[in-house]
Amino acid sequence: MWSSDRHGAPRLWIVLVSILLAFATGETRAELLIATARDGAVEALSRDEAEQLYLGRRATLAARTPLLLLDLPPGESRDQFYRLLTGKNPSQIRAYWSRMVFTGRALPPKEAADASDARRLLLENPGAIGYLPSHYANDPSLRILLHLE
Amino acid sequence: MKNRLTALAIAAALHASPAAADIETATFSGFGTLGAVATQTDDLQFLRVGIEAPGSDTVKLGSDSVLGMQGNFRLGGSTEAVLQVLTRKTPKNNYTPRASLAFLSFAPAPEFTLRAGRLRVPAFMLSDSLDINYAHPWVRPPVEVYTLNPFADLDGIDLLYRTRIGDVDLELHPYFGRSRVDITESGRASLSRLRGLNLGLSRGSLTLHLGYSRARLDLRWGDAEFGVLQHALEALPEGRHILAEMQGNGASTSFTSAGFQWDDNRWQLIGEYAARRASGFVNSAHGWHLTVGRHIGPTTPYVRLARTRQDEPIVGDALSAGLPAVEAFNASRNASQRSIGAGLRWDAHTNAALKIELTRTHVDADGWGAFFPTGDIASTRVSDRKINTLSISIDVVF
Repeated sequence: MWSSDRHGAPRLWIVLVSILLAFATGETRAELLIATARDGAVEALSRDEAEQLYLGRRATLAARTPLLLLDLPPGESRDQFYRLLTGKNPSQIRAYWSRMVFTGRALPPKEAADASDARRLLLENPGAIGYLPSHYANDPSLRILLHLE
Repeated sequence: MKNRLTALAIAAALHASPAAADIETATFSGFGTLGAVATQTDDLQFLRVGIEAPGSDTVKLGSDSVLGMQGNFRLGGSTEAVLQVLTRKTPKNNYTPRASLAFLSFAPAPEFTLRAGRLRVPAFMLSDSLDINYAHPWVRPPVEVYTLNPFADLDGIDLLYRTRIGDVDLELHPYFGRSRVDITESGRASLSRLRGLNLGLSRGSLTLHLGYSRARLDLRWGDAEFGVLQHALEALPEGRHILAEMQGNGASTSFTSAGFQWDDNRWQLIGEYAARRASGFVNSAHGWHLTVGRHIGPTTPYVRLARTRQDEPIVGDALSAGLPAVEAFNASRNASQRSIGAGLRWDAHTNAALKIELTRTHVDADGWGAFFPTGDIASTRVSDRKINTLSISIDVVF
């Protein structure tokens, strides 16, 4: 009897710590989303289309709106984005894009200064598509096209 | 043709709806390599046959060093212009820049891109990026395959059709045009009515390439040694027939290539086979290479094997028999060799890679491989030699 009481408190702690950890990992396991402006021209985007756009295999969508593809500066979010979407690591992506650019096949996405600059560019350009950390999911001025995890 | 296309492009630009505010109308970028290659023997130099002129040293900066600048210009809607100017050592022994890309592209639908102007001859899997060493694991694409077709510039038109079937990306790439290259001293060669079709498939980590083309070849050798040989042959009764095999107009040629690339973030595998057939002026030959690399942090060590073999000499055995000078001509234009190389790519910086490669090459008994005498041509043996080379390079993109 008393032994189970003695273990009750630690069990509670384990539960609490687990919940906290779940929140914490939820925050750091940077899920990413692809977004456009709420009133933007792009209404839907499939994962295939996103992959083709970010690999320079296509430059437009069916709607024919001039697209502005956005990138984040080199770093964790960008590396993770390409890993999630294309399965390629940072040096593979750089080599791949150098091939696409210097063969005249495609232009790389425009690099935003940071996530909030990317958000600004999304709002100012009706044809802009960009990826952002998941905490932008509830931003009322954005339309979320895809979740990546 | 070009003027009319330019006019069309300007008209398209004027009618285009204003693009989004932050879409740049002009983008500039560049790439470069500073490379050195050294042979372990004093009397031979490494030579990228058909790309550069022979020098007189065993350590060369001209084989791999290259600088390219590019501008992309949006002309509105789905029309774009690309200009790329490139400088590297040429067969004329200078560094005169040339336009390596100068085309207008028009995408009538997301799947189609139509291009006209100066394009690349897409003979190989990696033709498009032949000068962009940053895009490759090696110091340079293996010469056993990539020497088989020195024609780089396509003046003509092509079409890129891309589609996705299931989870496979497919690209069909038909092209048509002509091409010219200089040959050492005053020689030159041209391909006309060049037409070909490439098929590219990619799925996940795997990319496949298949290509086939045909063309008419006109060629004139222009080196002093050939002048002496030509003079001597003109005095022989059968000399005229031999000379007609060596140079002239209207040889028919075909080129085939097939390759694959695999990169799963741990292992990198690349292999390619290419073959050229020619009815005259150049030999018929085929080559292959196989590369295995392993990504370890920012480094990628690799090992590669490569082989090129002659199928038909320029002057057939029946005509060249008993004429050492003609056999020497055949040998000097036969790049047959086998090699094994071990190297390392180190992605030292976001936009720069350092590379080193050690290669051991065995030149075939009837060829010169990718080597050339540093001194007297007549008294230097090139055939049937084993040669070590060390290559070091820094590649950048900016």
